[in-house]
Amino acid sequence: MSADAKLDLYKLHKSDYTAKRAPAIVDVAEARYLAIDGRGEPGGPDFQSGIGALYGVAFTVKMTRKMAGRGDYAVCKLEAQWWHDGGDDLSRVPKSEWRWRMMIRTPDFVEPPELERAARKLVEKNKGEAVSRVWLETIAEGRCVQVLHVGPYDREHETIEAMRAFAEERGLAFHGLHHEIYLSDPRRVEPSRLKTILRRPVR
Amino acid sequence: MRTTTLDDYKRRILRVMVHVQNHLEDPLDLERLAGVAAFSPYHFHRVWKGMVGEPLDAYVRRLRLERAATRLKTTDRPILDLALEAGYTTHEAFTRAFRAGFGRSPSEFRRDHAGERASGSDPGVPGFEPKAPEVPSLEVEIRDLETLRVAFSRHVGPYDGCGATWDRLLTWAGSEGLVGQDTRFIGMCHDDPEITPAGRVRYDACITIDRDVVPAGEFGVQTVAGGPHARTSHFGPYGELARTYVRLVGQWAPRSGRELRPLPCLEMYLNSPESTEPEDLVTDVFLPLEP
Repeated sequence: MSADAKLDLYKLHKSDYTAKRAPAIVDVAEARYLAIDGRGEPGGPDFQSGIGALYGVAFTVKMTRKMAGRGDYAVCKLEAQWWHDGGDDLSRVPKSEWRWRMMIRTPDFVEPPELERAARKLVEKNKGEAVSRVWLETIAEGRCVQVLHVGPYDREHETIEAMRAFAEERGLAFHGLHHEIYLSDPRRVEPSRLKTILRRPVR
Repeated sequence: MRTTTLDDYKRRILRVMVHVQNHLEDPLDLERLAGVAAFSPYHFHRVWKGMVGEPLDAYVRRLRLERAATRLKTTDRPILDLALEAGYTTHEAFTRAFRAGFGRSPSEFRRDHAGERASGSDPGVPGFEPKAPEVPSLEVEIRDLETLRVAFSRHVGPYDGCGATWDRLLTWAGSEGLVGQDTRFIGMCHDDPEITPAGRVRYDACITIDRDVVPAGEFGVQTVAGGPHARTSHFGPYGELARTYVRLVGQWAPRSGRELRPLPCLEMYLNSPESTEPEDLVTDVFLPLEP
């Protein structure tokens, strides 16, 4: 990569973001994310303001660096972890009790003070208070089952069962949080064609 | 709302055809002909191209040559006179254009039609049927846009160079905290690239802003007029937008019952060219309509 080429983590870590419709075992290295936590159903008001805040901070941090001549990088796709207080089977609880962490993968050189500055600017510019909840999170998932789910989000449980069966056949069990990577934009793509990578750490 | 029917559009295009026919010696620029048709110069060329199929300048050129051909057949006037009447300043340029249209030089054409001198006058304006719209037809909805306040940067030159203008605008606006998830990315197209020379095409890269932003350097603030617009979605590379414009302005509008408002068309970019393959890009095109 030449010195002035734009850093694209999505392309650089292509193997983390490659999945087929049949489950496979992958080894995922430690990765850094901008993240925001919340509770409640996907598409609800808290969820929407959370995504807005996450993108706002991601974009503002990137452009502040670029404006200052400190290099450029591509903003990665949206990812999320989902769970509930009593465990990981979301089908057992109402959506209002779902907990989520929305994440955008971010280069290691981004530092917490940059987030604070970005959040201050966004609050000044009336972009909502949720930006102050965005923080930097490092996640080490290690060995995972990964699969490409094609179709509506509310049919994911079928694919997750296939992942679980695949893991069990190999003497492995789920642990850690369910993780998804949104390859499609649900505002543009019809539900039956949505592509989402599902990932689950196993041991 | 006043209804403007396809027949109204046809009548106005026909009025231009008659005007062209009767004024082949005069300058026939776009502005003038748009005035004859009572169309906004913003949209006239696309309406013309969508309804007639042939670009306006090619149409005028062809009529001038056809008239010269008729006069070659029916009169003994010197070829250079006919060349000048057809808007060519030299015999050579006229011969080249004539040969391209008729497959022969003017003198060969005159010789081949030597027996037809008696047949008389110039032809009148032929009847005209609007070109049929492409199938499947464009999906268009009428939408009332709210008036938008935007920060913008102007690009002058070919459209394929506006990426650098967007980059500067977004770097500045992003570092100021002006870009959030609700930000809309809008292109305001002041010129028709089929008419205005590529080097002079004006394009404003705009982002919506929700409170007062102070203009800084090359970045200005302006208002984008709201009101009724025809909206259609363009799927695919930005380089293919011209075809969607011709279908919207030239094929849909004449059959819409609506009158066009003399304001620039807008493009709203629904996904980012940075993270989207060109064939997956979605752009909403807005054509301003009279209420």
